[in-house]
Amino acid sequence: MTSIGTGYDLSASTYSPDGRIFQVEYANKAVENSGTAIGLKVKDGIVLAVEKLVHSKLLVPEANRRIQTIDRHVGLATAGLLADGRHLSNRARDEAANYRETYNSPAPLKDVADRLGLYVQAYTLYSSVRPFGISTILGAVDQDGPALYVVEPSGVFFGYNGAAVGKGRQLAKTELEKLKLSELSMRDAVLEAARIIYLVHDDAKEKDFELEISWIGPDSGNLHVHVPKDLFDEAEAKAKAALETFE
Amino acid sequence: MPAMVSAAQPVQRSFNPYTENGGTILAIAGADFSVIAGDTRQSEGYSIQTRYAPKVFRLTDKAVLAVNGFAADGNMFVKKVRQRLEWYRHAHAKDMPIRAIARLIQTMLYARRFFPFYVYNILGGIEEDGTGAVYSFDLLIYFKNQTPAPGTAFPKHLPLSTVLPLVIDSFTSATERHIEVGDGLEIYIVLSKGSTALQSLQTIRGIQELTATNDGERVFVIRRELKKD
Amino acid sequence: MDHFPTNWGRPRNDAFDAYGTYPIHQRPQNGPKDAFVDGVQRTQQPIVTGTSVLAIKFKDGIMMAADTLASYGSLARFKDVQRLFPVGDNTVIGAGGDMSDFQHIQTLLDGLTIDEFTAQDGHTLGPAEIHEYLAQVMYARRSKMNPLWNALLVGGVKDGKKFLAFVDLLGTTYSASTLATGYGAHIAQPLLRKAVEGYENVLTEEQALKIIETNMKYQVAIITEEGVRISESKTLDTHWSFAEGIRGYGAQAQ
Repeated sequence: MTSIGTGYDLSASTYSPDGRIFQVEYANKAVENSGTAIGLKVKDGIVLAVEKLVHSKLLVPEANRRIQTIDRHVGLATAGLLADGRHLSNRARDEAANYRETYNSPAPLKDVADRLGLYVQAYTLYSSVRPFGISTILGAVDQDGPALYVVEPSGVFFGYNGAAVGKGRQLAKTELEKLKLSELSMRDAVLEAARIIYLVHDDAKEKDFELEISWIGPDSGNLHVHVPKDLFDEAEAKAKAALETFE
Repeated sequence: MPAMVSAAQPVQRSFNPYTENGGTILAIAGADFSVIAGDTRQSEGYSIQTRYAPKVFRLTDKAVLAVNGFAADGNMFVKKVRQRLEWYRHAHAKDMPIRAIARLIQTMLYARRFFPFYVYNILGGIEEDGTGAVYSFDLLIYFKNQTPAPGTAFPKHLPLSTVLPLVIDSFTSATERHIEVGDGLEIYIVLSKGSTALQSLQTIRGIQELTATNDGERVFVIRRELKKD
Repeated sequence: MDHFPTNWGRPRNDAFDAYGTYPIHQRPQNGPKDAFVDGVQRTQQPIVTGTSVLAIKFKDGIMMAADTLASYGSLARFKDVQRLFPVGDNTVIGAGGDMSDFQHIQTLLDGLTIDEFTAQDGHTLGPAEIHEYLAQVMYARRSKMNPLWNALLVGGVKDGKKFLAFVDLLGTTYSASTLATGYGAHIAQPLLRKAVEGYENVLTEEQALKIIETNMKYQVAIITEEGVRISESKTLDTHWSFAEGIRGYGAQAQ
C-alpha cells in the first residue's frame, strides 16, 4: 500500500500526484472483502444470487437480505457494506418512483443505473463524505427485455450479460463465461447461479453462509421476487451435489 | 323593481366541506352510573347510507363518547381523542379522568375555531369520586350537565331501572317522529365501582360487557332493533 | 455540493435543476404549503364524470358493477371508460364522480402498492387497509378545501373476511352489505337491500350476478378468496319501447 502515509488518501476530494483517488480504491477493498454476488442475464429473464456470509449462528435465518426489490420489475444485489447497500436501494426506490411520477411508466433499467451512477459518483467528490463501499448489481426486465448493470464505488456503471462482484468474483466470472447465457432458461439459470455461489465459497476462510436467489421474468410474472422454496431447495441440493463431483 | 342580475356577473361557487348525517344521541347520569345511547342509522337527505354506523364509542372504562353531526368529522374527532388518550396512558400509566377528557375535548374543538369539527359531542361516564357524569358540547365549548336545580343542593338522580326504559322509549318515539332516526340502538352503561345497579343488569337480554381494566368501573352495552322504514 | 445531510437522499427532478446547481434557498420546496395561499385554483365542480357503481356481498365474496360511460355535462363523452380498478390481489375499487380525480387516485394506489411490494416483508394490503388509506386521503383533501370529487366503493376478500365500504369527497365513510353511488343510491339501493340483506352468506355467484344484472350495468368485478375477475364491457338488453307510450314529458307532437 504505497498510498499510506503520503497524505493523499485522507480525503476523496484530493487526487494523488499520479491522478488517483485513494478513497475510491479503498472503497473497492470493502467490496472485495464481501461475500460474492452474481447476476445472470438469460434468454427471457434475470437471476440474481448472493453468498451471504453469516458471522454469527445467533442471527435469524433470512434476515439482513442482500437482494432487495426496487420496483415491481427491478431487483438489486450488493456486495460490500450492508448499510451502504440499504441506503442505495432506498435511493434507487425513490428514483424508480420518481421516474414513474414523471413519465407514468415503469423505469427502464438504464435510467435507474444512470441516476444511481450519478448519485454514487457525487460521493467521490467531497472531503465531507466517503464513497460507497459497495458494488451494486441491478437487474430488471423492462420494455426492452432483460437488462443487467453493475454500479461501482467510483460511480461508473456498465451493462453485462453476466456479472460477479465481491470476494469470489474471479472464479465466478470464469464459470459465467462457460455458460451459454443467451440460451439458458430461467430455471436452469437459477440452478447455475446456486452452483456458482457454492463453488466460489471458500470453506477454509468463512465457515457459514446463506444462499439468496431472486429472479425476474415470465416465471415470476415479471416481478422481482425471491425464487419459490421448492426451486430454491432443488437448486441448493444440486449445488451441493455438484460441489462433491467437482472436487 | 328588483335589479336584473347580469348573466356575465361572476358567480362565486364554492365547495361545501360539510354535510349532515342525521341520527340522535343522548346521555343520562345517575348517582353512581351513566347511560349513553345513540341510534345506528347514517343518512344523507332522504337516503339511508347504512343501517349500522356506531355513534357511541367506549374511550376508557370510565368514559364513553357519543358523536353526532357530520360523520366524517365525527370519526376523525374520535380517532384524535383516542390518540390523545393513548399518549396520556403512555405518559402517566393510567386512564385520563373524565373531567380531564371533557376539558381536552373542549380544547380540541376550540382549536378548530375557524374550521370547526361539525360535531355535537356528549361525554358520559364516572368521575374520580365515583359519581355519574354527563358533559355536553356544541361545536366549540362544553357544559357539565346535571347541575342542581335552583334552590337545591344536589341534582336529582333517577335509578337505572327508570333510565333504561326511558332511553328505549325515547328512541322508539324519535324513530316514529324523525326520518333520520332508526335501524338500531346502542345503549352504553358505565357503572361506578361497587354500584348496586349491577344486579339489575344481569337479567337484561343480550347485554354485553366491554370492561377492559380492573379499576372497578364497568362498561356494558345493550343493542336493540329500531324500525327500519 | 449540498453539505446539509437532511437535503440528501431526495429524488432528483430532471425537469427542474437536473444538476443540483441551484443554491439551497432557491431549491423547490416539497414541504407543506401555506394554507392561505391564494391565486390557486381548486376543484369546485367535477368535469368528466362517471355515475353509479353498485356492489353487493354474496356467499363467496363481493360483486361490484359499473357502466363504462364518462359524461361531459349532459354529453356522453367517453363510452368505454373503466371505472373498476383492481388494487393488489384482494381488492377492487369502483368510482363515481370526476374521472381525472379517479385517475389520480389510481396513481396514488399504484405507488402505495409498489412501496408495499418493494418492502418484501410478507405483508400485503387488503381491502380494509386500502379503504382506510383512501378515507384518510379523501378527508385530508376536503379539509384543504381541495377535494377529490369522487364517491368510491372498496370491496374485497382477505383471510376469509368479506369487506365492502364507501368513501366520498367529504371523507364520509360507511359499510353495508349492499352499496351504491350516485343515482344507484336512489334507484338500485332499495332493490339491492331487498334482495341481499340477510342473504349475504347464502347467495351464490349466479344469483348475485342476476341481482346485479337486473339493476342494469356493463362491467362486473367479482372478488373472492381466489382473486379478482373483472369482465369485459358487456352490452345489456334494454327495452325502451314503452317510452313511445309516455305522454307529458319532453317534446311531443300531440
